[in-house]
Amino acid sequence: MTKEDFIHLVRDELDLPLSVDDLSSDFDHVVSWDSMHMLRLVAAVERETGSRVPVGRLLADRSLAAIYERVSAA
Amino acid sequence: MTTVSSPADRETRKSPPSPLESLRALRAAGTLAENYPSVAPLLAAMVSGGADTDFRRAGHLLLQLDRQAVLAARPETETAVVALTGHSTIGGVRAPLTAEFARHGVLVEDRLGDFDAYLRDLRDPASALHAADVDLALWILDPQTLLDEMGTPWQADDLVRAAERKLAQIESLATAFTGNATAVLVLNTVPLPRSVTHQLIDHESRARAGITWRDFNSGLLRLALGNPRIHVVDLDPVVASGVPLDEPRMAAYAKANLGDDLLARYAREVAHFSRTLRGRTKKVLVVDADNTLWDGILGDDGPDGIAAATTFRGEAFGTFQRVVQQIGSQGILLAISSKNDHEPLVQVLRDHPDMVLRECDFARVNANWQAKDANLRDIAEKLNLGADSFVFVDDSPFECGQVAEGLPQVAVVQLDEEPALHIEKLLADGWFDTARLTEEDRARAARYRTESERAELQESTGSLEEYLHGLGVRVRLAEAAAGDIDRVAQLSLRANQFNLTTVRLGAEDVTARTGDPHHLVVTIRSGDRFGDNGVVGAVFARRSAEGRDLHVDNMLLSCRVFARGIEQTAVAALLAHARATGVRAVHASYRPTAKNKNVREFWPSMGFTPTSTADDELRFRHDLEKLPVVPAHILLDSPLEGATS
Repeated sequence: MTKEDFIHLVRDELDLPLSVDDLSSDFDHVVSWDSMHMLRLVAAVERETGSRVPVGRLLADRSLAAIYERVSAA
Repeated sequence: MTTVSSPADRETRKSPPSPLESLRALRAAGTLAENYPSVAPLLAAMVSGGADTDFRRAGHLLLQLDRQAVLAARPETETAVVALTGHSTIGGVRAPLTAEFARHGVLVEDRLGDFDAYLRDLRDPASALHAADVDLALWILDPQTLLDEMGTPWQADDLVRAAERKLAQIESLATAFTGNATAVLVLNTVPLPRSVTHQLIDHESRARAGITWRDFNSGLLRLALGNPRIHVVDLDPVVASGVPLDEPRMAAYAKANLGDDLLARYAREVAHFSRTLRGRTKKVLVVDADNTLWDGILGDDGPDGIAAATTFRGEAFGTFQRVVQQIGSQGILLAISSKNDHEPLVQVLRDHPDMVLRECDFARVNANWQAKDANLRDIAEKLNLGADSFVFVDDSPFECGQVAEGLPQVAVVQLDEEPALHIEKLLADGWFDTARLTEEDRARAARYRTESERAELQESTGSLEEYLHGLGVRVRLAEAAAGDIDRVAQLSLRANQFNLTTVRLGAEDVTARTGDPHHLVVTIRSGDRFGDNGVVGAVFARRSAEGRDLHVDNMLLSCRVFARGIEQTAVAALLAHARATGVRAVHASYRPTAKNKNVREFWPSMGFTPTSTADDELRFRHDLEKLPVVPAHILLDSPLEGATS
């Protein structure tokens, strides 16, 4: 999954107005982010890629970029 | 003139936008609020096109739509207020709830309570759940609602006690809520997680836990039976259809004990329930024929080339026909809209050995080459029902799209080339859901069909007398048997026009009368060449102690069989029976109401003479000297002594 694909998925699935810049921002600075978004995003990534993401560890991550790193490593 | 598009045109031409893309385009243009009426058809297209992911995403998009902006631009928009409470994280239901209501054209305002605040929300009359403008109060129950009542480690006995305690608490909270608040309370059954049963390693405990859990759910369902202001969404069948109860990681990390997919299905059920409450239940199921009711195309393959039995695919179609018939048996009118010649299609319904559904199962058969939306309009007109009460089922995406476009108020169920999935698709939505069925509902299809046949006969014959002779009316009078009690009570409670004294009797009163030798409860059944009408009327009478007088307490007749001579026949038979059993005089009365004015002259017309006249009651007497005769066009049959002399 490329960064572009990932950003598209985040936009489509969560319907959040994100830009590429938001990828590296701390969640506190991302518009209306909450922990449910993370879990829904994981579910979408798993549907898309067919492989499982280690959610428990992801929850400690504070940015979409960090999530993308784990997701693309999975 | 022929126009040829340039190569450049062809290159830039794209496929039309998907419904989700259209929705996003409206949002991007800032015109979604003013275009709210176009949201419902877009969502309907996502559902009938099987675009589940798009529908989910549309829910999140619509959740962000400013409700006030919609109401400002479209003040006529139908609205609903839904308050939510629960024990776990239930925010996942908001987006699907928004989309499911929007699909029915309803702009929903959801009010989500604090996490795990259900005890306070239900008890506190000042809570959001109790607000006067709330239509539905959703109390979402999940497995932890029960499990958190127990300590660890636990045994089956602990679960038994926890379940009993919880059910009693829910019952008392729910009952108090429906007493204090105006909203309808929606509960749900709680599917039993395997991760609970299998914490118990012995089979006996596991069985007891299973029984306890089902008893808990049964108790919830019983709550709804006893209180019309409580509705219970049964989630067990939803989980059985393959929707996971939860997503363990969402449950562990976000305390979301019911998975998003299950909450989405729950939202669908709730939106249909809301339709039911608004009286927007669908009444007519219109089905296509080729590749919907049978395998093959009648026009191409001929009657011998189509199948609804014997072959693998054929049998799947036959099974589908049985489900259509099942829906029809519950008061939903069935109709066919098919692109075929009329005669061959009707011939299949009459003669083809595979058919489960026959011509008589359909209130209308429209087989022709007109566009299907025009046919649906025609069926609506002939049945005298709005097309908004129609569900249309077809395997052709073209026909489905055409009807969705031409008649957006029709619910479209799009089938595909796999007949084994037809049933699931037809039943995926609760279009026909209703609170309670009556005999009237069950008989509706037959009534519509025979009424249209009677209308044809009436059109083709000259005088009323000729028509009645052609009708071949049969009347049977008999003492009410145990199996007639409910129907007689229902007639007594419902009949308004032909109800001479409006003495309303419930089932218990009718039972008491049938068991009393002084009372006479007579059922009036009728039928004609077009079919049996069943019990259409009743007479309640009682004999005086010495048997010389018969007092008619009331006489009733269903309005759908007026003016065919049935009422005259019934009275003629009753008087003949009275005379034959030693009665000297029959007494009857009429008590006026707003609706029974037309029968004011009924007793005098049957030879009764007035004995007293007051504003609230006219009394009559018949001395049985000269008995009225049974009308010549009626065939009377009665086991009552002397009735048919």
